[in-house]
Amino acid sequence: MTPTPPAPAADGPLLSVRGVDVGYRTGRRTRLTAVHDASFDLYPGQSMALVGESGCGKTTLGLGLLRLLPRTGTVSAGQILFRRKSGDQVDVRTLAKEDLRRFRWNEAAMVFQGAMNAFNPVLRMEEHFLDTFRAHERRTRRPRAEILEESAELLEMVRLDPARVLPSHPHELSGGMRQRALIALALALRPQLLILDEPTTALDVLTQRSVVEQLTELRERLRFSMVFITHDLGLAAELADRVGTMYAGRLIETGTTRDLFHRARHPYTSALIGSVPPVAGDRHVPEPLPGGPPGLNALPPGCSFEPRCPRATEECTATRPELRVLHPRDEGLSHAAACLHADGAELPTRGGHP
Amino acid sequence: MATDIAATPPPPDPGGGATTARDDGARVPPLRRIWSNYVFVKVRKAFVVVFVVANVTFFLGRAMPGDPVDVMAGRLTQGGMSMDEARAVAINSLAYDPDAPLWSQWWEFISGLATLDMGNTINRPGQTVAEAIGAYLPWTLFSIGVGTLVAIVLGLALGMVMAYWRNRVLDHVLSVVASVLGAVPNYLIAMLLVTGGGMYLGWFDPIDLRGTLSPGVEPGLTAEFVGDALYHAALPIVTYVLAIIGTWMLVMKASTTEVLGEDYVTVARARGLRDRRIAFSYVGRNAVLPLVAQIAISFGTLVGGAIFVEQVLVYKGVGGLLLDAVNYRDYPLLQGLLVIITTCVVLANLVADLLYSRLDPRIRT
Repeated sequence: MTPTPPAPAADGPLLSVRGVDVGYRTGRRTRLTAVHDASFDLYPGQSMALVGESGCGKTTLGLGLLRLLPRTGTVSAGQILFRRKSGDQVDVRTLAKEDLRRFRWNEAAMVFQGAMNAFNPVLRMEEHFLDTFRAHERRTRRPRAEILEESAELLEMVRLDPARVLPSHPHELSGGMRQRALIALALALRPQLLILDEPTTALDVLTQRSVVEQLTELRERLRFSMVFITHDLGLAAELADRVGTMYAGRLIETGTTRDLFHRARHPYTSALIGSVPPVAGDRHVPEPLPGGPPGLNALPPGCSFEPRCPRATEECTATRPELRVLHPRDEGLSHAAACLHADGAELPTRGGHP
Repeated sequence: MATDIAATPPPPDPGGGATTARDDGARVPPLRRIWSNYVFVKVRKAFVVVFVVANVTFFLGRAMPGDPVDVMAGRLTQGGMSMDEARAVAINSLAYDPDAPLWSQWWEFISGLATLDMGNTINRPGQTVAEAIGAYLPWTLFSIGVGTLVAIVLGLALGMVMAYWRNRVLDHVLSVVASVLGAVPNYLIAMLLVTGGGMYLGWFDPIDLRGTLSPGVEPGLTAEFVGDALYHAALPIVTYVLAIIGTWMLVMKASTTEVLGEDYVTVARARGLRDRRIAFSYVGRNAVLPLVAQIAISFGTLVGGAIFVEQVLVYKGVGGLLLDAVNYRDYPLLQGLLVIITTCVVLANLVADLLYSRLDPRIRT
């Protein structure tokens, strides 16, 4: 299999998320909407970071894109349009069961938060690769040796020693090795989109670095698109072309990485960036944002950030701001913010980080 | 700096996978290695358990009031014999010397065990303990073995179905059934089967089903023998299945539900694996692992319960023999039976342990 870079960007977005709601059933007749009205376009080769506090809906949105939510969760509204390798555009929401199975991993793969437990403890690593390839190859049953050879190449791509990794059980590998093995496995079918949910959270700093380096390098080589879910703003700044901030289940600001880190228009984005101490230079004390996000079952009628917002006005308690384009650009790179006061003076972001 | 780190090969895993462990093993002297070998450790412990149980049965049996002579003499006096006369007859007809000191009886028993000789029965003249047990035990092991196997296979399957469909109607119904079955004692189930199925509904003739074989059927590897054995064992087997299946269903449901929440199952779905592959190799296999040890527990419980069930169903297994041994104070038979039954349960445990270490790579040493 030769790596085939996705078709050129001229065809439009690879992934087009339109008005997606994701919710969980919490009781016999009660539901909780964890993601409201999420919309964004992701063009081929782009890398987008989703940032925000815990519980703001990032992971739920990521899982929803592949319909991998737990049993109680569903994508309850909107469209998830995806342009397949064949060129057809499909709505992931309406894919039939078998179609969805073939879609997953082949078109869009996901690297999970808990990569520690991403592998079946009773199977050897080679069996995970065999399983994955065989699930997606229809009639022709390729010989085991051929698949393992390809798996070895994948592992070498993430600088793992195949002779050591393939015959091992997951518990015989370190956390960093498992994480990299999962990235290798995710790239096995050359997906067009890679969703990464906190890919470096459980790793030590040095391993984090090498994972980040390898991701950057692999993306240059294989040209897949990425959706990147993270708490780590430094990582977002480094790996993403664009950033989306989420708060209480909504995308409240999107734009290029530069836009958000230097010209944030939503006070929450600005506060989020302000809460990270810079590694060097002016060592100001980071200001934590007082309070916490509102409960998803008791959202205020107006702007959900209003109770914590330093510039909230009367109007903010009554009117919920829509995501508004402030600076239009092509290819989904427009700077947009959901704040009634977004046109006001630029917010202090204590720029320069990173 | 970052590039340097990325360029170096992955650091060797300090935790030392299987390879490191094996290297260490090579330096240990061979005898020590055998001594600390996983299988050998388990076998060693099994022997200790059997030895302890052998001693307990020896003393417990003799702690019961009266000895074989007393029991037989008691029966004879009811026929009008005087006590002294009855005792004399009893001592003459029984292979038991009531005046032999306890320690010599103990030594005879333990040394006999070491040479796998369990001596002669007291109440069955001319029959050794081994012969008596050999005539009855296979039927009990057969019925319990088949019952356990069927109950486990069915219970695991139903438990998985319940977990996959949890909180739906089917799950609720099966949960109630499982809880009720788990609460009813096995001998009651046996009685209900005979009265309900045999007498009221007339599905089968409980009188014809008695015993272990129909008259005239010769043991051998023939279809007739196997079929007849299964026919007569049907009621005990169904009883055992109903008695333990509820527990297996509930335990498997809990275990499967837990595994379904594991990351590797979500990742397997994300990888686009087929549902069947996920259900068997990812969910099922991991859900069964913690239950393997319970196979032996199930088996042990059933052997204990068999005494009642075999009485109710008039199945000629080891249960009736054990009851006789207790009633007539047939010490050697009682000891032999309990030691053999314990050995069976300990063996089942051992097999479960070894099976577990085969199934779970994290336990392997």
